Amino acid sequence: MEAALPNLLSTPNFEIYYLSEQAVTISFGNEISESLAQEIRKFNSLIHQNPFLGFNTTVPAYATLTVFYDPLVVLLTDLEGLTCFDKISGYLHNLKTLKENRSISKEETITIPVYYGGDFGPDLDEISLHTKLGHDEIINIHSSVTYKVYMIGFVPGFPYLGGMDKRLTTPRKTYPRAIVPAGAVGIAGEQTGVYPLETPGGWQIIGRTPTVLFNPKREQPSLLKAGNQVIFKPIGLEEFEHLSGK
Amino acid sequence: MEICILKPGVLSTIQDLGRMDYLNQAIPVSGATDQLSARIANKAVGNSEGDAVIEFTYAAAEFKAETEILIAYAGDGATFYANGEKLPTERPIFVPAETVIKLINNPDGARTYLAIAGGWNVPEVLGSKSTYLTAAFGGYEGRILKTGDHLKSSENLSETSISILNRLRGNTIKYLQWSIPKALLLPKDHKTIRVVPAREFTWFDSQSIIGFLSDSFSIGLNSNRMGYHLEGNKINRIKNDELLSTAVFPGTIQVTGSGNLVLLMADCQTTGGYPRIAQVASVDLPLCAQLKPGDHIRFSEISKEDAEFLYIEREKELARLTLAINSKF
Repeated sequence: MEAALPNLLSTPNFEIYYLSEQAVTISFGNEISESLAQEIRKFNSLIHQNPFLGFNTTVPAYATLTVFYDPLVVLLTDLEGLTCFDKISGYLHNLKTLKENRSISKEETITIPVYYGGDFGPDLDEISLHTKLGHDEIINIHSSVTYKVYMIGFVPGFPYLGGMDKRLTTPRKTYPRAIVPAGAVGIAGEQTGVYPLETPGGWQIIGRTPTVLFNPKREQPSLLKAGNQVIFKPIGLEEFEHLSGK
Repeated sequence: MEICILKPGVLSTIQDLGRMDYLNQAIPVSGATDQLSARIANKAVGNSEGDAVIEFTYAAAEFKAETEILIAYAGDGATFYANGEKLPTERPIFVPAETVIKLINNPDGARTYLAIAGGWNVPEVLGSKSTYLTAAFGGYEGRILKTGDHLKSSENLSETSISILNRLRGNTIKYLQWSIPKALLLPKDHKTIRVVPAREFTWFDSQSIIGFLSDSFSIGLNSNRMGYHLEGNKINRIKNDELLSTAVFPGTIQVTGSGNLVLLMADCQTTGGYPRIAQVASVDLPLCAQLKPGDHIRFSEISKEDAEFLYIEREKELARLTLAINSKF
């Protein structure tokens, strides 16, 4: 039966700390890696399949999973412990050792069409200068990788993507722009991402997608969620206009 | 019931107790910054605690009752006046149609909450009526209130609201002597904020930690619903590990790269990468909500067990108040 033991038992790190009266955070380690993301994802679905009384929601991040709850409800449960923190910690530790089929849904791949360069990608020159790559090479490299959504944070619907080819690494702009439009695709250091809303920002902008990443009128307002895979597909202006309904 | 905004004031938005269900999509909690005042205003008119209220920042706002209205206000940013008469806080007030109410500056605080019997009638977006300005959704058309906006209350009044209304209704402004005193629920010292050491508390040198728990810090000009910049002695790090972005919550105190403190408030991002020195005890967040640029505060340490105990006790006290009001009317 040894083989059936869940992977989590081999996790060296599983530390629970206090975030607020309404939340604890589980730390799984301290690195950005595919395997850590996978473990967090598995544990996240395990909690959702086995919620405790008073459970509200979770927030996955690079190396942590934060669990939110209603203290008034948790306090009345018969979980072991005098405080909510103890009750929830105990519950989560038990859940960790639970022998259970931890199959999770296949990772969904979402294709995001991007018009690269031109007025939509004003920083291609700066990236060229920095990386010594031509515009076409930058676009080819950026659109030939499958990215992984590690977490959603910063502003509603903003994906922290992992997997960018290190050849594209370029520092942020010295002077951030006051306005970066929604849909702008950018590079900052070793990261790439898409702005879901018009906000100020310092990323090097290489293109724009007509896809709406955040819409509060949708049932799931954020197009992407942690665990998704993302592919950027280069498109022409005609397709861009068609897709954005112009 | 309906009002018309004659002057919007500095920053007036519709808020309730916020939205928790979309944190994983990086949608902030939002909601009333001072939830205690918002809840008290709602209770005083017989509403549910989570009904929508107007959050006024400072004073200078003005509105007119288009119909007769049953309202209550709470908070410390402004005092309400009608026909030159000061209206008392934290209790139901009946106001006849055509009355103009002005908000006059109250130096004690920053934010004031206006509840109306039935709650302000705006559509729910993602499970809440709170305005989130950055993404322009929720509340009144996703924006701050403007001159000429007409705000209506929901038609469904609670039995308590109906009974209060029947008792006060007439041709003049009328209110009860009874009130829900917020002051009794809060500590006497409004400028000492209790905090629980956060995960990265030990990343800072002992001198800085002692300073954090004894020096005074002032609220910076660059402070808003997302967070406050605190001015004071710098906090120095001894551990220079990189913190991978992780969940934060209103009340989280971060230390920026230059050693300054940022206190996160209702509209804060859901995740952050700055190390965290402390988390404000939830029961003291209403005190933080009333701070203005230039105000001085200190922090005192409590345990997470104490913070939780205080939270539970505050909630029990509020539940008792609700029972008392419902049995009174």
